[in-house]
Amino acid sequence: MSAYLNTRVSLYAGRLWQDEALDTLVGVTEDTFVDTLARRGLRGLVPGFGAPAGRQQETRSLEQRIIAQVLDETRVLIRPLSGNARTFMTYWTARFEVSNVKTLLRSKMTGESPAAVLSQLTPMGVFGRLDNQDLAHAEDVGELLRRLEAGPYAGIVRHARRAIELSHDPFNLDAALDRGYYEGLIARGQPLEDTLGLPFRGLMANLIDRINLVWLLRYRFNYKLPPAQVYYLLVGSRYSLTGARLQQLAALDSLEAVLAALPQPWLSRLSGATDIPDVFFRMEHAAAEQALRVLRSNAPDIARAFAYLILRERDLRGVRAALRGRHLGLPDAHVRQALHRTPAEAG
Amino acid sequence: MLRAEPLLRIQLLMLASEAQDAALALARFGAFNPAPCTLEALEESPAAAYRDAWLEAESRLAKLVEQCGEPRPLHLPENAEAPVLAELQELNRWLKGAWNSCLAGHESEVQVEEALGHLDALEETLNKLERLNVDLAHLLRQDSLLAVHIGSLPSTAVKRVTEALSMTGHLVSSFDQVGEQVFAVIAGPRARHEEVHGLLAQAGWREMPVPEELRTHPQAARTWLEQERARLKAESGAECQIMDGLREQFGPRLYEARLRLALARPLAEAAVVGVRGQGGLAALSGWIPRQKLDALRELLEARFQGRYMLNHRAPVASEVAEVPSLVRYPGWLKPFVPLVKSYGVPRYGEFDPALPFAVTYLLLFGAMFGDIGHGAVILLLAAALYQRLGSMAWVGIAAGAVSMLFGLLYGSIFGYEDIIEPLWLSPLHDPIRVLTIAVAFGVGFIVFTLLVNARNKFIAGHVGEALFDSTGLAGLVFYLGAVGSMVSLAGSADLGLPANLMAAAGILVVAGFKWVEAKAGLGERMLVTAIETLETGINLFANTLSFMRVAAFSLNHVALALAIFTLANGLGTASHWLTIVLGNVVIIVLEGGIVAIQALRLMYYEGFSRFFNGDGIEFMPLRLSPERVKS
Repeated sequence: MSAYLNTRVSLYAGRLWQDEALDTLVGVTEDTFVDTLARRGLRGLVPGFGAPAGRQQETRSLEQRIIAQVLDETRVLIRPLSGNARTFMTYWTARFEVSNVKTLLRSKMTGESPAAVLSQLTPMGVFGRLDNQDLAHAEDVGELLRRLEAGPYAGIVRHARRAIELSHDPFNLDAALDRGYYEGLIARGQPLEDTLGLPFRGLMANLIDRINLVWLLRYRFNYKLPPAQVYYLLVGSRYSLTGARLQQLAALDSLEAVLAALPQPWLSRLSGATDIPDVFFRMEHAAAEQALRVLRSNAPDIARAFAYLILRERDLRGVRAALRGRHLGLPDAHVRQALHRTPAEAG
Repeated sequence: MLRAEPLLRIQLLMLASEAQDAALALARFGAFNPAPCTLEALEESPAAAYRDAWLEAESRLAKLVEQCGEPRPLHLPENAEAPVLAELQELNRWLKGAWNSCLAGHESEVQVEEALGHLDALEETLNKLERLNVDLAHLLRQDSLLAVHIGSLPSTAVKRVTEALSMTGHLVSSFDQVGEQVFAVIAGPRARHEEVHGLLAQAGWREMPVPEELRTHPQAARTWLEQERARLKAESGAECQIMDGLREQFGPRLYEARLRLALARPLAEAAVVGVRGQGGLAALSGWIPRQKLDALRELLEARFQGRYMLNHRAPVASEVAEVPSLVRYPGWLKPFVPLVKSYGVPRYGEFDPALPFAVTYLLLFGAMFGDIGHGAVILLLAAALYQRLGSMAWVGIAAGAVSMLFGLLYGSIFGYEDIIEPLWLSPLHDPIRVLTIAVAFGVGFIVFTLLVNARNKFIAGHVGEALFDSTGLAGLVFYLGAVGSMVSLAGSADLGLPANLMAAAGILVVAGFKWVEAKAGLGERMLVTAIETLETGINLFANTLSFMRVAAFSLNHVALALAIFTLANGLGTASHWLTIVLGNVVIIVLEGGIVAIQALRLMYYEGFSRFFNGDGIEFMPLRLSPERVKS
């Protein structure tokens, strides 16, 4: 197992981009662009993009191809895994299916047709655990929730159900589902942290701390939620931003105050940040640096594989920005700027 | 020899308004396999909306049938027509209304059940609050500085809610748990009451209404609870009556809905591969057996009286991989077909291996497991399990019969080699002969597979591969020459020179072909040619030796029986027979299973893999039954 995974991760690692290298996608000819993507194993992202269809459909199709790429690489990586490692890596892909759950629930709230909903769902391939056909044909939110509660995401959906029953607010729905997902991820990561040690724990800590801090800032200062509710919506964590620390941060009144109250190393990394996207970018950059260190180290293979997937998704977001920019005919300077500040979809 | 029926590609052009009837007619015809339409001029997908409406209606119908029940078998009248899109949409709307009514009734039932459960919890709460000796009226005063909530929340949320509420000076005190719901009192300063509303909603907090009645004397509270329970039960009875009424109301039309949707199924199903159209025209494409063309014309003429156009053509070489394969097997061969198809479906025009498979599989099984007694047990067991195994039982019956036949030839009955004289030979007493026969059988089998492969390649238009490749005729020449050389070396015949020449000629042709086929630089080309040519020889040699296992297993069968007899002979009378019986059971179950798998393995890997791509498409006709409906 180890030799396979080790070799696979090392081979895949050769396809990753350095930050500056993404710039080579901007302002080049079509052939060079396609060639660059092909050399990184991403030829599949190009065909069809720009085909004569609705713009929203094209964008969705690109998203779907990017996710398909991630799923495909994950499928290859988990081939030799079993037990906790396989469970964790499989669950890591489940956030795409949680997005499908959100889409399904939203569509029932807005009364979209099953065919329209189905076209928006991300095909999950071998990782799919939901019967999308069946769920899309549920008559309303109540029926859909009951069906979901009988399925693999019962634990996550149960929270969302109560939240929706009491207020038909899509925000409540998203927040409940996201929190449920990441708490599930922490629970599945815990046994691996015990066996794989610091490299894996570091990756998890960076991920969860980033999610918690960005959510906290958004809920507190964009949505103006009261501190207690903000704290409730965050993911229960044992990393550098502990529950007690998050309580303190949520009670503060400004972005600057929150950033000033952060523990090291976040304090120095985020000093001078002026807005939430900037905070996200800096935290993600730090997480990418750490993932790269793990990938290049002799850390356990599963930690390296997880690091690779984190980095690969970051790359793919960059490629998406470049593709969109190219397709929309945006000035190169804007695309370059976007490449260095591409927020994640989830979280 | 069995082969796929010749098919024709047809294109049926008709009025778009009659597309559903055309699809229905084709489904009734029973021999039309839909395929994507390639007419580029027809850009629209006129059946897409039809399929969407059908899928929605079908989903609703399934739920309604589950809820209301509709056990009558469906009978489709001969002259019934398929619904048009507007009718289908109307039916869909009715089903939606019916399902919503049922859903509302069902929801009401669930709500009454939940309310009754809540009442139970309330009673429990009352019991607990009584014991706590808390004056509820005082606790829940609206003008107090303390805001108090009594209610429930999911047990998984308690810790988090407690931590979050502590930020607003609120306390959470749990006093009961029923299932996953924790009942708790939340108290905090009324001034900060607003801050916790959103949080409680998010956490799934369910406020427990404490009615005035409950805030007074416990006895009065209990009376109120009883009254409330009686009211809910009456409501539940009323809901049941409503549901019964709905069943009566919808029941008769449900049958009609099933009928209409069954008639609409063919077009909805054909739309999966694509029904194309433009303006008022629609086109259905697909495959039919050539011999059914006239019958189809007659059917269409009778139904549409000239309002259609039917084009047909034979499949072209470039599309062979997309042509479905339709083979009609005789009844006695059908039980073996699933074993062949578990490897793959033969391509259109490819040699169908079902018949040689059945014959060879049985021969191999019988040769490896030849015993009258064991064969009889397998035969009787398969016959006894006929109801459960269905037609697959015939494989067991045939295998048992062939095993008995070989038992007669080997003179073996339940492992005893001395009760009857062998009609042919006893494997134990003449092992070299058995090994020789097995290898000779293997040679014959491999020659057969090479010939079949050459034929398949030739038919598929790969003439070069059929003639010169290692699995084609050149490979066959090499193989026959190599076998001749081996036979000469063993001293069984004097074929030395011609056999060596044949082998050399064959392998040189194969090497030449590999050289031509390898598209690479000189060094790599030489390497590829050398390795692949060497591999040809090694593979054929190894495949031939593989058949020695047939002899090995026939010897193994006798050896196992001997071991059991040796064991049994050292025991007393009762133990002796017990050991004999148990030993035979072990032989039948364990060795029988292994031999069945080995025979299958020989067929798959030494046989099928040589000539059978297995990537064909099975002919799946459009039908009225729901066999192939999911998208």
